[in-house]
This record gives sequence, structure tokens and C-alpha cells, in this order.
Amino acid sequence: MTEQMIKNETESVNSGFSRRSFMAGSAGAVLAFTLESSMPGSVAQAAGAATKIGGNLTINADNTVTVAFGGAEMGQGIMTGLAQCVAEELMVDWTQVRTESAPWTQSYITGGSFGVRANFLAMRTAGAQARDMLIAAAATSMGVAPSSCSASAGVISNTVNSQTRTYASVAAAAALLTAPASPALTPKANWRIIGTRANRTDIRGKVDGSAIFGLDVQVPGMVYAAVRHSPAIGGTLAATPKLPTGATHVINLGNAVAVVAANSWIPLDYCAIGISSTSSTWRDGIKWTAPAGAAAMTSAAILTTANTLMASGTPGTPLPENIGTASATYTAAPKKFEGTYQVPFLPHVMMEVPNCTVSLSANSAEVWVPTQAAGWVAATVSSLTGIPAANVTVHITLLGGGFGRKIEQDFVAEAVKVAKVVGKPVKLFWPRDEDFSHDQYRPFGLIRVRLGMNASGTPTSFQARNVSVSPLFQRGWIGATGNDNVDGLVGTPYNIPNKLVEFVRHPSTIPVGFWRSVGESMNCFAVESAIDEAALVAGQDPVAFRRALLAGKTRELAVLNAAASMIGWDAGAPTGHAYGIALATGFGSLACLAVEVSQPAAGSLTIHRACMAVDPGMAVNPTQVEAQMQGGIIQGLTSSLWGKTTFTNGKASTSNFNNVRLMKMSEAPAIQVQIIESGAEFLGGIGEVAVPPVAPALANAYARLNGTRVRTLPFF
Amino acid sequence: MTINVNGVARTVDVDPATPLLWVLRDVLGLTGTKYGCGIEICNACNVWIDGSAEKSCHLLIKDVLTVKIVTVEGLATNGVLSKIQQAFIDEQTPQCGYCQSGVLMRAAKLVSGNAKPTDAQIDSAIANLCACGTYPRIRAAIKRATGQAAVK
Repeated sequence: MTEQMIKNETESVNSGFSRRSFMAGSAGAVLAFTLESSMPGSVAQAAGAATKIGGNLTINADNTVTVAFGGAEMGQGIMTGLAQCVAEELMVDWTQVRTESAPWTQSYITGGSFGVRANFLAMRTAGAQARDMLIAAAATSMGVAPSSCSASAGVISNTVNSQTRTYASVAAAAALLTAPASPALTPKANWRIIGTRANRTDIRGKVDGSAIFGLDVQVPGMVYAAVRHSPAIGGTLAATPKLPTGATHVINLGNAVAVVAANSWIPLDYCAIGISSTSSTWRDGIKWTAPAGAAAMTSAAILTTANTLMASGTPGTPLPENIGTASATYTAAPKKFEGTYQVPFLPHVMMEVPNCTVSLSANSAEVWVPTQAAGWVAATVSSLTGIPAANVTVHITLLGGGFGRKIEQDFVAEAVKVAKVVGKPVKLFWPRDEDFSHDQYRPFGLIRVRLGMNASGTPTSFQARNVSVSPLFQRGWIGATGNDNVDGLVGTPYNIPNKLVEFVRHPSTIPVGFWRSVGESMNCFAVESAIDEAALVAGQDPVAFRRALLAGKTRELAVLNAAASMIGWDAGAPTGHAYGIALATGFGSLACLAVEVSQPAAGSLTIHRACMAVDPGMAVNPTQVEAQMQGGIIQGLTSSLWGKTTFTNGKASTSNFNNVRLMKMSEAPAIQVQIIESGAEFLGGIGEVAVPPVAPALANAYARLNGTRVRTLPFF
Repeated sequence: MTINVNGVARTVDVDPATPLLWVLRDVLGLTGTKYGCGIEICNACNVWIDGSAEKSCHLLIKDVLTVKIVTVEGLATNGVLSKIQQAFIDEQTPQCGYCQSGVLMRAAKLVSGNAKPTDAQIDSAIANLCACGTYPRIRAAIKRATGQAAVK
């Protein structure tokens, strides 16, 4: 899905709050008021009763409120951020707020860093609607006018008599009222919860062991399944293997074999590589039919094709960006820079492997799954079983990491297929080595950047050609235009009068997908490295060079100057150390990262400090903005230094943490984050924007340290 | 076979060669202990064996019949969180949270035996892999739990 697709979907979801639109909408609405509860007030006031006042808002008997949300909580804090928006308007204290997952009919794709920014107004409106309905019900109960009432901490009082009503006591009556179309929203100056460091609602369970991730789901009568795919991507099972000892089923899934047993260990032991030796005879005896065109799925051949396409490929049309006369300006420029950058296929590396639990009945299904796209899960189940999607219940569990991988349906489809064969609830999961060897990788690509400069070194033209594998094309969603793959090339913030961006699709069939920050994860490396390299050609300081190109761009200048100031750019790095800087714009936010590095020995690199200035417009929860910056920087360092998957005849080089390296505690730099809130009520996303500037900041620092320019990732 | 988990004797009917991790998760329903790699690298599966943080993915059940096993579910006492757990909340340490049980087992072990762990000791003790990059907040939580100034 493209950012635009997610945005369109979210906007259509949130465009109206009428009961009609909610009931009719397949994608569902956030906290739309269905007013489905018709529970009589007397019953609601009975001990232990809870009233569902809206489709996604429950007033509990103890006067706490439970906010259901339709997104995926994978550590980015969306569940908390959205609940803060509701609580703000609902006039409850943060300690009264609980959260839960909404049905898939009210879910949306969690991606593109849209979770909070796209639902910000909708969630506030929903909270305000509920508040006004509760006040109206309380006013009737107290025999006063609503205008004499106010609410605080879930208690409604009035200025006429001394009576008060708790939300719980009037919730049932409120649920029968019509939701006001345009409730008053609290002005920013009066916010109590939005913008505060509210504690996350999901943390307690994550420290006491009670949090339920997909892999933790247990259903009565459940059996367990693990899978082993063709080592070469696209290969198929030549014959169904014999039943492994201890297993109840061995199932031919075409491109994979599934083993089913009464516990996780038996199927895992048989399907995983390197976990024990007991299963190797069985596993190694599986015969696979090699995929057609396997030789083309080899990294050297993929690079050769990319080089050819870079030199002589035909860009897709319409061109993603074409302003002025970039090509002619470059040709005539007295100073110029050209560099070609290479980025690898990259695994997502979630700590929780793909998994899905499915329970099928004759005409209904129940699914428990860590997914970023619950609606797609319902569609997957429906298409494989014939069960109407309306009869599919999807429980969105917590996600043990997602980073874009858990939007995919491959593991969901396998769970459904196995459940059909077994006839019992099944929890299917992938061994770790299946995850790293059968990911839908961040695309491999080459990005060539050309910058033309005048005699004084001021850039006059910017050209970028991206040759990469397209997730959108592989899914049949677009033709040759580039789309996500050119994010970060189109609309660069620099004031350069002539700009040309081209995309040439690489035809590789290595499966690619959406990796945290998507196109920006490739292109920011190229653009921000090239800016530093052009500054060198121009004989200018990289920060000063950027400042000159950002004249009048106050938001960009603010983050650039803040990051430079934090690292101490003007004072210069200590002896033997170097600073590097890079600016990312995307997801409605700006992030400028400065790093300090040294190289104690050849083949090593120490990152001492990372200073991030981020402008998300407005920070709904500063703690979570900081956490996303810290986490994004560390993930960016991991991928820049070590992240890649290469292929030989379709077989991936990555399998487990013995050949996929994650940054460790001892290697992580000190991280400083400065939040700059430039927006009145404008919001950018914060889940992804920290990642793109890391690779170029590191490469720029490395070049300044020892004169060696890294144009191919990863570093090591 | 009987094992002692979080101070309670639990009888389990499984193949003696089953790793402790899967007995805890599938048989006893103690799903706080996580499967991450299965090859003793990531530390998501850490539990205490007689007070020492160990990887449960490769401990066979038949080899832990005479030891005291503590899982993340056993860190709290009668629902009251231990000091290190509370510090993880106060510092808002977990993101996705999947690796945090294993992190907590090692962090709890560290602070139980070291009143003021240094940065180097924290680096050495917390060998866990975290894909979300919560390391700065793990460090801050350990410092908070041991009364040391937070590093921000």
C-alpha cells in the first residue's frame, strides 16, 4: 500500500460519524458511535455492568473507560496516543483510561506513520461526542439544563443544585441519545492529556509477563504447526514427506511443508535449522523442485541487471518529478557531482516470528494474529474458506515488532490452509530461520544522484534515478511509475531550481515489501550522502551548504541548526573523531541527525553520540516521540552497519541471529533527542522518520573521519 | 516429572527431551518467556535457574527437575512489582515488549547482586537483543532501580 492509499482509506474511514456511514463502511470507523447499546439504565447501574456507549468506547461500572482502537500496537505507542486524544475530550483522568483492540471492521492498516496523525481529530471528536451525550443524560437525571453542567474526572456536576452523576451511572441513558454532529473540541491551551508524558497503557503487561502477543495465544483444543519453505524462493515441494515422529500431520502447502503436533516443540524441531540435530534427517530428506529462473535470483546477477538499467533503462512515466531543465543544466554546469549508491535487500528482523492462530467453523472463523492489516486478514480467511468476511472475527494481538512485515498475509494464509486440513484450532508459526530466509525484504536498489553547481558551488540542478525492485508492482498495484520507491527523492526540501527524478523498475522476483520508512530508507541515504559529497566539491562545510539551500525553510533550518548545535558542529569533533549530519523529511515530520564516530581499528566503527532534532509538528506524547527516535536510530545503525540479505539461486543468506547482527546494548551510542514543535495543531508521524537519516549521517561522518566514502550499504 | 516454577511444584507429562521454554509456554501457560532464536543467542527466553539467568530454549526439562526455576511471572510478589519492574514502567522502557521478559530476568539478576552497577557492568549483563532499540531506557531503568542518576 502506498502512503496515499493508507491516507485515502483513513480519511474515508473518518470522513463522517453518522451511524449510516459506520454501519455501511467496510473499512470501519474510529470510535464511530453506533449507539448499539440499548441496555436499560437500571440494568447499567447494577454492580459489574459496563455500558458500551459507542462502537469503540465502553464506560465501565467502576467509572473507568475502555477505548478500543483499530490499529496495531507494535511498540510505537499508538494505542496510548489515540486514547490520550479520546480522554482529553471525554474529561476523564488518564488513570481512568484502559485500552483494547477493536473488531477488524473498525480497523485500519497501520503503516505510513499515519496511526495518530490521521486519527487525531476523529478520536478527539469521538471523545467529545461521548462527553456531550453523557452530560445530556446526566442533566436529565439531575433535572437541570445541560448548559449548567460540566464534567471532570468522569463526574458530572451542575451549577443549579448540589447533585452529581458519575459517567457509569448515566452511561446507559447516554448511549440511547443521538451523537452531536459537531461537539466543541477543547482548545489547545486547555489540554490536560494531549501533549503530556502519559504512561503507556500496554507497559504493565510487558513487564509482568501477562501481555499477549500472537505467539502467546492459547485456544482450547488447539494444536501447533510450524512450516518449512523451499530453501530457494519460489521452489515447490516435490513430494509430501513422511510424517515426522510425534507429529499428527504433515501437510503439503505447495511452496512449503507444515508439520502439526500437540505442542510447539515437535514441529519447530523438525522445521528449524540449527535448533537441534534430531530433525535433520527428516528435514534434509525433503525434496524440492527448484523454481524457474532460479539463477536470476542471485545477487551478482541482480546487481548486473541494475547496473544495465541504471545506464540504459527507460524510466517509467509519468516522471515522478520534473521541474525545469535539470539535465541540460547539469550538462552545462561548471561544477558537478555524480554518485551512485547501493542499498541491499533488508530483512525486517522482528523479535516475534510470523504467526497466526485460526479456528474454523462451518460458516464462521476466529483468528488471533499480530497484524498491521486486520481487514486484509478477514479477506484472506474469506477467500480461502468461502466464509463471508462479516463472519470472520479477527483479534489483533500485540505485535512483537512489525516494521512493515506484519502487514503481509503469507503466514495468515498458511494458518488457514492448515486449519482446514486439521479440523481443529491451529497456531501456526515460523521458525526463526524461516523468517529471515523468507521475508518480504526492503528492496535492493541503486540510486544515482547528479548535482550541477554554478561557479561558486551553489547547486542549480538535482537529478536522481532510482533502479529498484517495486513492492507495489509485485502486488500488481502499479505500473512503472515508482511510487513508494521514490519517496525521499521527490520533493526534496532544498531550493534547487531544476529537479528531475526517474524510476526504472528492476524486474527481480525476490519478494519485497514495506520496511520501516519504505522508500525513504533507500533514498535518504543517496540524497543526503550526495549533498555532503557535493559540498566537498563546492569546498563548503556540509551544514553551511545545507543552510544556504534551505533559505526560507524555517522548519528544516530549525532541525538542522538544532542537531548541529547539539553535536557541537561549529566547535568541531575531538581529535580522532568526526561528525556527520543528515536531514530527513517524510511522514509529515522532519528529522535531522548528527552523529559522532571514531574508528579504533580497521573494520570497526564506534558511534559515540547521536543527536536528533525532530519536528513532528506537535508531540501528542513527548516520551513516545523520544522513544521512537531512540529506537529508530538504533535500528538505522543496525541496518546501516550490518543489514543485508543476499541470494544464491533464490536461497537467502540470512537465517538466524548467527548471521543477522543486531546492535547490542554495549554498542549503542548515547542518544540525545530535541523535539521542536512547529505546528499549531499540525501533526506528523513519528514511527519511521528517525530511520532514514541514520545511514547518510553515518556515511558522512565516516567520510570526514578517514576520507573514505561509503556508497554501498551495509558498511560491514 | 515435576519441576519447581516460581516456588510451585508443577507436574508435567512431556517428552523428557523437551526444552524448558516450550514446557513453560505450551504446558504451563507461562507465556511471558519468549521464543526468539532457538539457538541461544537472543536471550528472549531467559529464566532463572537457581538464581542464575539461563536460556530456556536449550535447557531440557529432564535436566531441570531439581532446580528452582523463576520466570518473569515470578518477579512480582503477590501482584506487587519488583523494583526493577517498576523502574521499567517509570522509564517507559518497553516498546513492542517482546524481548523485555528476557531483559528483565537479566536486569533483575544484575540489580539483586550489585547495588550500583556501572555502565560497563550493565553493558555486560544485558546481552539481550532488542530490535526496537530500547537500550537507552533499559539503562535508565537499571540506574533508577539502583538509585543512580538517570542518564538522559
